[in-house]
Amino acid sequence: MGEKTKTKSSVIYLNKIKTYFSKPQNIILLLFGITATFGTVAPIVAIVKDTFKIHPGTIDAHLTGRATGYSTANYVDLFTSRLAKSNLWTPMLNTVLLAVFTCLISIVFGGLFAFLITRTNLKFKKYLSSIFIFPYIMPQWTLAVVWQNLFNSNAVTGTSNGLLVSLFGLTAPKWWCMGLLPCAVVLGLHYAPFAYIMIGGIFRNMDANLEEAATILDTPKWKIMTRVTLPMVKPAILSTILLVFGSAMGSYPVPHYLGLTTLSTKYVSMNSKYTGEASILAIIMMIFGIMILGLNQMSLKSRKSYTTVTGKSGQISKINLGKVGKYAIGIVLIVVTFFTSIFPIISFAIETFLPNPGDYSFLYTGDMNNLTTKWWVTRDNNAGALYGQPGILFNKTIWHAFGGTLLVAVCCALVAGTIGTLIGYAVSKNRRSKWANYVNNMAFLPYLMPSLAVGAAFFILFSNEKINLFNTYALLIIAGTVKYIPFASRAALNSMLQLSGEIEEAAIIQDLSWFKRMFRIIIPIQKSSIISGYMLPFMTCLRELSLFLLLCTQGFILSTTLDYFDEMGLYAFSSAINLILIVAILIFNTLVNKITGASLDEGIGGK
Amino acid sequence: MKKKALSLLLASCMIAGTLAGCGGGGAAQQAPAAEQNTDAPVAGTETAAPAADAGDDSAPAAEAAPVDEANLTETQKIIREAEGMSMEDLAKKAIEESNGATFYGVGNSSRGKSALPLFIEYLQTIDPSYNMEFEWQQPKNNKIFEQLTADSLKDTGTFAMTLIQDGNQIESKMVQTGILDTYIPKEWAEANGTTPDAVDGFLPLQTLNKVFMYNNTGSVTYQNCWDFVGEGVHSLYMDIDSEIVGKNFLYMLTEDKYAAWLKEAFNALDADKQAYFQPTIQEMESEAADLGLGADGAYALAWIKLWVESYNAQTDDGPICNTLVTDSATDQSGLLVYSKLRSVEESAGVSVNNINVAAYQDGYTGIGGYGYCHYLFVTENSPLPWTACAFIAYMTCTEDGFSAWGKDMGGYSSNPEVAAATEATYGHSKGGYDEAGTLQFEAKNDRGYDWWTTDGELVLEDPEYCASVSFTVGSWIELLTKYSEGEAAE
Repeated sequence: MGEKTKTKSSVIYLNKIKTYFSKPQNIILLLFGITATFGTVAPIVAIVKDTFKIHPGTIDAHLTGRATGYSTANYVDLFTSRLAKSNLWTPMLNTVLLAVFTCLISIVFGGLFAFLITRTNLKFKKYLSSIFIFPYIMPQWTLAVVWQNLFNSNAVTGTSNGLLVSLFGLTAPKWWCMGLLPCAVVLGLHYAPFAYIMIGGIFRNMDANLEEAATILDTPKWKIMTRVTLPMVKPAILSTILLVFGSAMGSYPVPHYLGLTTLSTKYVSMNSKYTGEASILAIIMMIFGIMILGLNQMSLKSRKSYTTVTGKSGQISKINLGKVGKYAIGIVLIVVTFFTSIFPIISFAIETFLPNPGDYSFLYTGDMNNLTTKWWVTRDNNAGALYGQPGILFNKTIWHAFGGTLLVAVCCALVAGTIGTLIGYAVSKNRRSKWANYVNNMAFLPYLMPSLAVGAAFFILFSNEKINLFNTYALLIIAGTVKYIPFASRAALNSMLQLSGEIEEAAIIQDLSWFKRMFRIIIPIQKSSIISGYMLPFMTCLRELSLFLLLCTQGFILSTTLDYFDEMGLYAFSSAINLILIVAILIFNTLVNKITGASLDEGIGGK
Repeated sequence: MKKKALSLLLASCMIAGTLAGCGGGGAAQQAPAAEQNTDAPVAGTETAAPAADAGDDSAPAAEAAPVDEANLTETQKIIREAEGMSMEDLAKKAIEESNGATFYGVGNSSRGKSALPLFIEYLQTIDPSYNMEFEWQQPKNNKIFEQLTADSLKDTGTFAMTLIQDGNQIESKMVQTGILDTYIPKEWAEANGTTPDAVDGFLPLQTLNKVFMYNNTGSVTYQNCWDFVGEGVHSLYMDIDSEIVGKNFLYMLTEDKYAAWLKEAFNALDADKQAYFQPTIQEMESEAADLGLGADGAYALAWIKLWVESYNAQTDDGPICNTLVTDSATDQSGLLVYSKLRSVEESAGVSVNNINVAAYQDGYTGIGGYGYCHYLFVTENSPLPWTACAFIAYMTCTEDGFSAWGKDMGGYSSNPEVAAATEATYGHSKGGYDEAGTLQFEAKNDRGYDWWTTDGELVLEDPEYCASVSFTVGSWIELLTKYSEGEAAE
């Protein structure tokens, strides 16, 4: 009897397993749950281990008197030594302030822009909408370099005069040229398109009935804005904070160029002598990422109360800016976006024709002989004038790096896009499952961790006796994939949640295979969001520096090469690389747009 | 003890927090494997120089030789053998080893990439059928140490050799840990009037100099090295945390010889300037005593303090040069690699003649700059040790091998014969003259290594000294508030 019951229960158990694995979403969740756990936890464990490890020739070896082994010396020294303020607390404060101000600027600027584009009768919308995302396309520190070229002056920054002084004799104060403010403004402008995409998405789809009801009740406009409109876009604002905070925290190049000491810059500067302590800084940055994930969980709960407003409404009312207003505000925005989006490109182009880096003498002399094509066409790399480099067109380093960048970006986009889409699909199918929630969070966590910290963790993880992947495309692709899966998983999840289960169920009744259901029904319906899930990793990967900084040498990919030339002061080369990147991204974006009908400014989460 | 407990607590919290965020799975299992390998000393594991001639049958040598041989690794045995070979014999060994192979090198200078094809051409003069693929990597800043450390973990490494700067870190991270081995070419030793086994230290390819320069479009002149730390002066300099050799310069100033130079220069200042610097020097006297510095240590510390608290940090020497040569950089000064002047193109607003090299000016007193070396090493797990030795010998013993660096001013071969041949070919001492023999740019007439290390008062890097003060003087420097940090915090 007992034997029979036992057999019966094992059959039931086997059947349950069989049923579980008969659903593709469960296989996906199991497979990628394990992969995501390894991809996220293993680097964290590696970097935690590094904080205890004794590194020869560094402070821990000096303090312990040993060259190998493990110790808590790094923690003791970092938190309690006389350098604690300069090595830890001040950079941490600066980092938090930078992240907060970046969020603020990007949300205000991007949100306002989104409002004007989607909810008013503003003119030049199409142009403005396209041009607004340019700062996100460009590597973030290139705006920092443009900032320097504009505002630096011999009198204030002790460098050569920038354009503002050269042309108009105007000298900007030091706090405007260096430190927290310019860093926050540059990063804020860089991430404003994020806010525009996310907040704009809600504005575009928002049911205007609530606002109209308030208007009928004679509610003042400011009250409608603060009591009705803003609460409706609160989830989008929270999402923007979620995405921008971690990215701003982990930004290395912008504070590096604009003279702000943050955890990222400190990580790099401490790494030679305080290797283990630098790893602790990376962990601190990761903890911030985890805290943001916690906030996200809370915001997800609060979002439930706004689900009614995310449904598509045919009644989007447009605010009338007035006959003059719609043109005037449009022109103001054209001027603003000129400086944030067009001017940097013009500046990059001009830079490649200057005789010396930053030498704008042709402007104030009016003599065009002070321009040159040498940076483009020089073949002989012995030419002293190019610091031993051949011209851009013949520079193998640049073109090799371009090839490498394309390889990494394409691979990351394909792998991250596919995995992310599958995770998004599987999670949407099992939305109440704890395991699905875990997989979703585990896949999303790397995005919230500052890039530099993730890069540091991957460097440590893959630099050992058994696996040594430093300076290989494999390592870059692994790190990029782990980091960018969230782009695809979020885009897919958001769009799949909009999709009624009945559609797929109908196909199941018709006995269509899972592949057919995916390729004939689900993917075509949510094409736009899924393409975003591939395009965003691709685009971000093309100009990613912080993540890859520690994983390869310059000349390996374009962003490290660009950074190298920028640091060396060879702005002609770095500007040319910027132009190459921008053109490449625009070509790919246009191609994808033409082929699939999706475009970047439709953004995360689809239309 | 309290500190340790507090830190342990903080560490535990951080780790718990980190792992909790990973889905809460599993408790923190990362308790450190404390006290493992606790007896491994920091001190070096580097073996001594090779033993005496094999033919020597005296009892002590015969007894000593087997012990040395037993302690040598395979790579070190090859190096020892190579040190007794001529360039040509070594080249034959390299051909035998690397024909058809791929050679990976890593270095702080990108020009290893230019030297390698010339080396291959040289090997082809011995065996025309020889060919070798190559890849040269140039990690930026400090990453080369991480890269070499990571590569050293493999049984057979990727990199055959390295060209590396920063004697301090080389000593503590690369040599004492046995990651890199020194090979001294026979011809190089002979040219320096010695033998490979008598050479104690690393093999330098060249010495590079960073020199004080200033923009001369205004009225300010810098007549003394103390002027660069004078009131309101903010010289441009690569950040000492981004290029560590810059920090080594500051370490070296505390050595007795250079501290004495600083004192001499101070004594040459007029009374007003002396009065300005005197309080800082007095303030540093107790610090110098605490750090165990010599009699003039306070002068060195005072200069370092004033420098760190005043220099305007830049990302590289390139931007510093770009700034100083413009006509708008009136009265600006900087300490930068001399060779950067080679690439300046004359224009309406930019000219090499807008700058003066401080040490070249009549009446200038005190240190003129800082000299540091590019060193050459064979990696302990080198996949191609013979080829690495041959390439190193080629770069240090032939003019062609050094030409990738020799064609520019401001880099001086460590081999006197190569240095002389390079000067004869490129004439850097007359680098400021045009083809017609007219002086165009005074600053580009490189006065050469001998002048710089004597009259030019170039401070020279000593890796051992730098390593010895890295955690005394070094830690003291880190407590100073850098000018750029102070400004940013405001």
